[in-house]
Amino acid sequence: MLTAVRNQCKVIFLSIKYALMRELLNKTTFISNIIFMILNNSSMIVQWIVLFSIKDNFGGYTLKHVILLIGISSSLYGFAHFFFEKSFKLSETINSGKLDAYIVQPKNILLSTITSDIQVSALGDLSFGLIAYFIYGFTIRGFILYSLFTITGGIILVCISVILHSLSFWFSNADAGADTFNGMMINVSTYPDSIFKGIVKWLLFTIIPVGIANYIPVKVMVSFNPYLLLINVGVCLLFILLAFTIFYRGLKRYSSTNLMVARV
Amino acid sequence: MAVIEVKGLSKTFKVKLKDKGFKGSLKAMVKPKYKTVNAVRDISFTVDKGEIIAFIGPNGAGKSTTIKMMTSILFPDQGSIKILDFDPKKDRKKLSYEIGTVFGQKEQLWTHLTPYDNFKFFGAIYDIPEKAVEKKIDELKMLFELDEFINTPVRNLSLGQRIRCEIVASLIHNPKILFLDEPTIGLDPVVKENIRSLIKRMNKEYKTTIFLTSHDVGDIEKLCKRVIIINNGQIVLDDSMDNLKYHYLNKKIVEAKMKERVNLDDEDGITILKDKGYNLKIEVDTTKRSVADAIKLLNPDNIIDINISNIPLEDIISSIYQNKDQL
Repeated sequence: MLTAVRNQCKVIFLSIKYALMRELLNKTTFISNIIFMILNNSSMIVQWIVLFSIKDNFGGYTLKHVILLIGISSSLYGFAHFFFEKSFKLSETINSGKLDAYIVQPKNILLSTITSDIQVSALGDLSFGLIAYFIYGFTIRGFILYSLFTITGGIILVCISVILHSLSFWFSNADAGADTFNGMMINVSTYPDSIFKGIVKWLLFTIIPVGIANYIPVKVMVSFNPYLLLINVGVCLLFILLAFTIFYRGLKRYSSTNLMVARV
Repeated sequence: MAVIEVKGLSKTFKVKLKDKGFKGSLKAMVKPKYKTVNAVRDISFTVDKGEIIAFIGPNGAGKSTTIKMMTSILFPDQGSIKILDFDPKKDRKKLSYEIGTVFGQKEQLWTHLTPYDNFKFFGAIYDIPEKAVEKKIDELKMLFELDEFINTPVRNLSLGQRIRCEIVASLIHNPKILFLDEPTIGLDPVVKENIRSLIKRMNKEYKTTIFLTSHDVGDIEKLCKRVIIINNGQIVLDDSMDNLKYHYLNKKIVEAKMKERVNLDDEDGITILKDKGYNLKIEVDTTKRSVADAIKLLNPDNIIDINISNIPLEDIISSIYQNKDQL
């Protein structure tokens, strides 16, 4: 069992390494993608600086809290898109028959598929997240929590994408719905939760789990709460279980295709 | 010893139907209609260790569906498959260590990496220790003559070189069975010949069982000793190549250059294929008339030059595809 996990990790590492090697072939594009993403995310902070010059407090959030929220959102997005980019393109992989290559290999199909590509600009998101965290204030405990929430939040984002894209096994064009849902999560995740009320807030802590992935980490980092931490980790594990169950159930309906495809 | 056992295998697909035009699209949204396609219908066969078998049929016959069920890609609706005693449905991972696959239409290699890096990656996928992979790469490099381009990125290779690398990648883990789905598609005749001889050599060196699908008669004729023909999802022929030729070659083509014109219009067992005056091409049905008889009709003294040949294998196979039994 341990050997199998180690071997799977080795393949994932190699897969990411080779994808990175491909991106490094074009040094200028590689660096500019990262820099532009950092600048793009910085513009959000600038907007909030303008808003905070008018008002000191937005539903209990100070400028530092907002910077932390945007930093965590950016980091988990970067983590998800750098290591698991293909989970956001899973429908295309299913519909074009590209899953064949992963099925005939003696490794976990879902993990091998979603780690087979990277998004370079996601490194910009990860870097920006780190900068934002350092602006908020560095402590060792805080950094460990920040890293943990980047991973759990990123995994929640990936799992939601896997679940929605796996609907392609049942319906065609499931990617449109999945992309809209992912976009909605990202849009909401950079606003303080206290500005949302009633059913919207309930939705953000249930069906659209931005509350679990983004808001809980801010609350825990500002004022440590072990119960909230457990909820974050527990929901993450639940989403992993759900994503694997739905993907593998759908896989039984996989029909492949004979389209000509290349691995690029 | 049978390494592949397929019994009563069936697979159906549900295909959405749509009337033509925009109105048809709207109608299909409100009230979708489906058609069930029987891709594979109750097929059974076995393959012995070390065999090179051709699994052929026209487009849409069910070849790829069958291969995909045998390699765990698709789940069968009915029937059973045993590959080296593994059930592809339940033992996907264990089976993957024992088989190799090359889909001519689908690349498995990373195009920006060199073949060497790709092979190392495949070695990791199959949990082969570093030193063992390097040894295997060296061995296959010699066998498949990859020396010249093993360190060139795959995207810069010719199609023939790329297919050779695809085959090598599928052999890194020493598979006992290799599934080749149209490995020579799009290759020129010289490269095709090269790939065929490499496949043959590999079968001889490693005793690998080869399950081949191809539309290229040359692949089948030069590589396989046994052929299974599938059409409309059913096996229509499962025989040795020798038997196929022997039983179906009851027609001969006679091409003759004559001194004088000969009229063979109403002769039983003779079909005139081409008549250009002094050059005649006829087909002789040997169940009705012997070739010697046909030559007598032409009059040996009247013949300047003559060529007697079999009907091309391609025509025999086409005829079986079309379910004609006049051959």
